[in-house]
Amino acid sequence: MAADPYMVLGVKRNASQDDIQKAYRRLAKKLHPDLNPGNKQAEDQFKEVSAAYDVLGDADKRARYDRGEIDASGMGRPQQRFYRDFAEGGSQYTSDAGFADFAADDILSEFFGREGRANIRMRGSDVHYRLELDFLDAINGGKRQITLPDGSILDVNIPPGTSDGQVLRLRGKGRSGMGGGRPGDALVEIEVRPHRIFTRKGDDIHVDLPISLSEAVLGGKVRVPTPTGSVTMTLPRWSNTGTVLRLKGKGVPRIDGSKGDEFVTLKVMLPEKPDPELETFVAKWQGVYSPRQAMEA
Amino acid sequence: MESLEFVLQARIDANVLSQWIEAGWLAPHRTDTAQYFSEVDLARAHLVHDLQQLGVNDEGISVILDLVDQLHGVRRVLREILSSIDAQPESARHQLLAGLHQAMSERASDVCGPTQTRDRQAGQSF
Repeated sequence: MAADPYMVLGVKRNASQDDIQKAYRRLAKKLHPDLNPGNKQAEDQFKEVSAAYDVLGDADKRARYDRGEIDASGMGRPQQRFYRDFAEGGSQYTSDAGFADFAADDILSEFFGREGRANIRMRGSDVHYRLELDFLDAINGGKRQITLPDGSILDVNIPPGTSDGQVLRLRGKGRSGMGGGRPGDALVEIEVRPHRIFTRKGDDIHVDLPISLSEAVLGGKVRVPTPTGSVTMTLPRWSNTGTVLRLKGKGVPRIDGSKGDEFVTLKVMLPEKPDPELETFVAKWQGVYSPRQAMEA
Repeated sequence: MESLEFVLQARIDANVLSQWIEAGWLAPHRTDTAQYFSEVDLARAHLVHDLQQLGVNDEGISVILDLVDQLHGVRRVLREILSSIDAQPESARHQLLAGLHQAMSERASDVCGPTQTRDRQAGQSF
């Protein structure tokens, strides 16, 4: 349970919206982690204060809180990473303006000068692209083309078994280098769209296969979809819901030429519309079986 | 991440994003086709948002971001200096610290002499 937001902001329950905003601003100025990069405690306090203000700063939410319709917990912002957590590590925003004058004549000049010196020979920078693929295209591989803004076309070879998030590196297809440096690479990040029936875990494919009551009881041959087309599979008698059958080598191709497997999870389905014949038949069934035995004891 | 994901995560409008980029508050990595944002950009966008909540106007935000970046630059160099001092043999470390200590106390006596009396007077008048 989060603290009372009125206490956190230090305002009375009948304070005006204006007073609440003032109280928030006064505290936030003191506590914002990015305005106090050396103060480690500030972060927790700031989070508390901004969560309180998220509730009280909005007249509607405040009224609902006062009526007890919402509580102060869970109103906080999603996990926020503060700028100070990154800024010191160096980024495109890093500034040396705060000490550049030291560099002129100090023993530190070497230290400070280090970053400023330009490299005469530079490799070209990498260029990032993103490419969305259909589930089956990623598994079976193929060729794709990316049209660049200058009208030229980049051929991308999709190797079979490409997975979501994988980055394909096209050597020398990035920016050209400087002073004889070699060109950078094109990095193509692959995003694989999900499939209607297949899911992929590593090199294996998983699929749910609905079967009828008679197929479940008597067994028989059924057609099963795989990434390379459907195949016939033999169901043993008494194939229950949840039974997993493996189709060896029907999964995702690996680099070494072998392939993952497809796992077929059976799901026994009754006919969608009630079937009087089946009802009469089952009513006559004398079998005794309690599938919930394990749950009881 | 690309612009679309960034505006969702930063919870800002697409046109607000382009204003912030134009103001120099955000500097995403650009390719010819798109711009890419990193976690740093996201954290910085949160900072801009918080500053606006604090009632800071646009000019103020530019000044604050610039000073915050300078402060981080200084902190970074200070940290590097401290860690390289830390890596020195103990005798060198002691020598450095002693020199630093002396410099600080000299400066303190330079500055504090006249100000101290002024402080006292100010205290009495309240």
